[in-house]
Amino acid sequence: MPDENKKPGLLRRFLDTPPDSVGKTVVVAVTLCLVASMIVSAVAVSLRPVQEINKLKDKQINILQVAGLYSPGTDVTEAFKVFEPHVLELATGEFTDQFDVNTFDDRAAADDPELSVELTDDPASIGRQAKFVTVYLLRNEDGSLDKVILPLHGYGLWSTLYGFIAVEENANDIFGLQFYSHAETPGLGAEVDNPRWKSLWRGKKLYDENDVLQITVAKTAPPAGQEFHVDALAGATLTSNGVDNLVRFWMGKAGYAPFLESVKAGEI
Amino acid sequence: MGIRNFFDRIEPHFTNGGKYEKFFPIYEMVESFLYTPKTVTKVAPHARSYVDMKRIMTYVVIATIPCILIGLYNVGFQTNTAMEVHNSSGWRVWLLDLLGVGFDPNNPIANFLHGLLYFLPIYIVTLVVGGIWEVIFATVRGHEVNEGFLVTSMLYALILPPSAPLWQVALGISFGVVIGKEVFGGTGKNFLNPALTGRAFLYFAYPAQMSGETIWTPVDGFSGATALSVSASEGFSELAARGIDWTSAFLGTIQGSIGETSTLACLIGLSFLLITKIANWRLVVGCLGGMIGFSLLLNWVGSDSNPMFAMPWYWHLVTGGFAFGLAFMVTEPVSASHTNVGRYIYGALIGFMVVMIRVINPAFPEGMMLAILFGNVFAPLIDYFVVQANIKRRAKRNA
Amino acid sequence: MAQTPKELILDPMVDNNPITLQVLGICSALAVTSSLQVAFVMALAVTAVTAFASMFISMIRNQIPGSIRIIVQMVIIASLVIVVDQVLKAYAFEISKTLSVFVGLIITNCIVMGRAEAFAMKNPPIASFIDGIGNGLGYGLILMLVGVIRELFGSGSLFGVTILETVNNGGWYVPNGLLLLPPSAFFVIGLLIWAFRAWKPEQVEERDYKIQVVEEH
Repeated sequence: MPDENKKPGLLRRFLDTPPDSVGKTVVVAVTLCLVASMIVSAVAVSLRPVQEINKLKDKQINILQVAGLYSPGTDVTEAFKVFEPHVLELATGEFTDQFDVNTFDDRAAADDPELSVELTDDPASIGRQAKFVTVYLLRNEDGSLDKVILPLHGYGLWSTLYGFIAVEENANDIFGLQFYSHAETPGLGAEVDNPRWKSLWRGKKLYDENDVLQITVAKTAPPAGQEFHVDALAGATLTSNGVDNLVRFWMGKAGYAPFLESVKAGEI
Repeated sequence: MGIRNFFDRIEPHFTNGGKYEKFFPIYEMVESFLYTPKTVTKVAPHARSYVDMKRIMTYVVIATIPCILIGLYNVGFQTNTAMEVHNSSGWRVWLLDLLGVGFDPNNPIANFLHGLLYFLPIYIVTLVVGGIWEVIFATVRGHEVNEGFLVTSMLYALILPPSAPLWQVALGISFGVVIGKEVFGGTGKNFLNPALTGRAFLYFAYPAQMSGETIWTPVDGFSGATALSVSASEGFSELAARGIDWTSAFLGTIQGSIGETSTLACLIGLSFLLITKIANWRLVVGCLGGMIGFSLLLNWVGSDSNPMFAMPWYWHLVTGGFAFGLAFMVTEPVSASHTNVGRYIYGALIGFMVVMIRVINPAFPEGMMLAILFGNVFAPLIDYFVVQANIKRRAKRNA
Repeated sequence: MAQTPKELILDPMVDNNPITLQVLGICSALAVTSSLQVAFVMALAVTAVTAFASMFISMIRNQIPGSIRIIVQMVIIASLVIVVDQVLKAYAFEISKTLSVFVGLIITNCIVMGRAEAFAMKNPPIASFIDGIGNGLGYGLILMLVGVIRELFGSGSLFGVTILETVNNGGWYVPNGLLLLPPSAFFVIGLLIWAFRAWKPEQVEERDYKIQVVEEH
């Protein structure tokens, strides 16, 4: 047998060494780490595009929902094409071309000292407010404005609520309000997701005839009248106060008021 | 003594080997309700005392009487006052009409009767449902139905809002008796207060029916916040604007759970328990000390955004369930600490936690329930450290 | 251990259930059982991770140095968990949003480590794989039971399909909010363990001590 004197292969010799020797411990550890990291990064890289699409779709679904255009089975990407996204400069209420609207990240902007301001008057408890946000316009067939979809967020009882508000072309009637991320008490504050409560917002008005912000979430109607009043959530005073604060903050001077003025003037 | 003879005659059927052996706990329950229990301690240590479990429990029930009386009056008073503005109907109104009592809030008897009609259904449901669980466990586990349940059911009924739906009352007492007591082996082995366990269950399970502004007075359309929730949401100074002054809070003519509103009644009950030595005064001192100390500290620290910081201790005393909890739950011997030093610490921990929860936590205006349950959980640990410290000290002394 | 594959699968269901008997993996059982759909995906993920982790560890069990064996097991488990997490994010985005951090926490699930250390290190790959499936399913069984109770009585639905119409939506059922909060799973799991042990008394642990009976009639 010619093989009898031949030395066993490198692998064989390695496998036969006792597992607890120092050399083997190091080799096993290194090999394992290499193999594991390769598998993990291969999976992560190959799945990244699908995940990005998911994240985008998730946001688009929320925007479609608040505009009342979503039903299960809708082709999200296709349906979303009706929207016209813009990056808005809050202070001037005008669109800006400084950023690419498809890559602009609202949340990252709020953390960027260049792109955000520290709030001193901060009823929505958000700390820093971005100077630029992405808004979405919805146009009628003839090109006239139908709705604007504006992102807003603020602190409730336990968590920051992130959502969108849809406002009609007169810049005063609310079409819908929807939160897509929060951690409020199930059964109480989390009822902000309840379709019955969300439907209360439709048709409410933001400003009175003197352009004073009147919309409020409260247990009883304000003197300004029922059309400015959304009933507070039963048993969730603090979440309701949070929603009240954040809506009033974002619809006020520090928020979208300048932009809504130009919408009202028909400039958009 | 016809009844005694009757019991003596039927007892053999229930004792070991008798026909109804399984039902001995029920026999025992009825017998010891009527007569002094015949149990004797058979192993050391022997301590002779006239105070047995039955007497302790009876005394606690007696001590709640002032709370019951003022509570019933207040429920009726609030309801009748609210009915001057809002319409109300239902079987209670029908029955009171039939009796010709009327709904005048200035008529104490009308108030009392109206309150009674809210309290009785809650109490009866508590007794029946809780009693059924007690008997089931007593029969299966072979221990006795304990008078402790009478106390639990009374306290539980008194800390509910008068508008509590009866099915929730039944669920709550079931949870309290089973999870709060029986899973640990029954009276004396539970480390949580069963009445509070049931109440806490309802609080978290059905917050819409257990908190808010519309539940304290059972009249549709009427909304009245408790003193604590007014202070928490609108600021302590708002109380006066709502017509709540300290005297009315002390006497108990304010919104709140059935038996909790009157600090005066709770203090009368507490005095009775202290005089009869059912309640340990160290617990009371600890709890008051913790509450007063921490609220003074918060008064001193102050806060611009949280008005509750400014609430003085004598308001903490008369609002919410503090006085009731102090009188009947902090002093409950089973779930409290058992060492003397531990009792001060246990009391102080609860007093501290009440103020902490009321002032600093935004979600729970009322802190007494959670503070006592928190204290219950820590009681064995406190005892453990007190005993260990004691052992170390003695070992050092004798070394 | 000469267990047949059938025993390896069925044993962890009732007789040696990782949750009710060994009381392992409670953390995630508390966190993900408020909705049945999430509990189901979590159960599948844990089953997959346990099975494959056990199999891979068993394949190299004779080569693993004793001094770093826990680390080796952790690396294998962690890699698998990341793979599962990435796959969920790509193909079940909604669910991965709800599971959020808890997929990552499968790494710390004692069941996975427990099976790797107790079974896979001593048994061939196929048996280890089946054992992993069995334990994952045993865990999943309890998760689903808890999930049914919590979702049905907490939100009146099963798998998101309304069974009991809730008051807020115009129905009659008043949902039990406590069941939506994580602590409720403690009670539900506790009651399940109680039920299992009442059914199979041999699972009851020995008493550490007995309280002296001091009274008699």
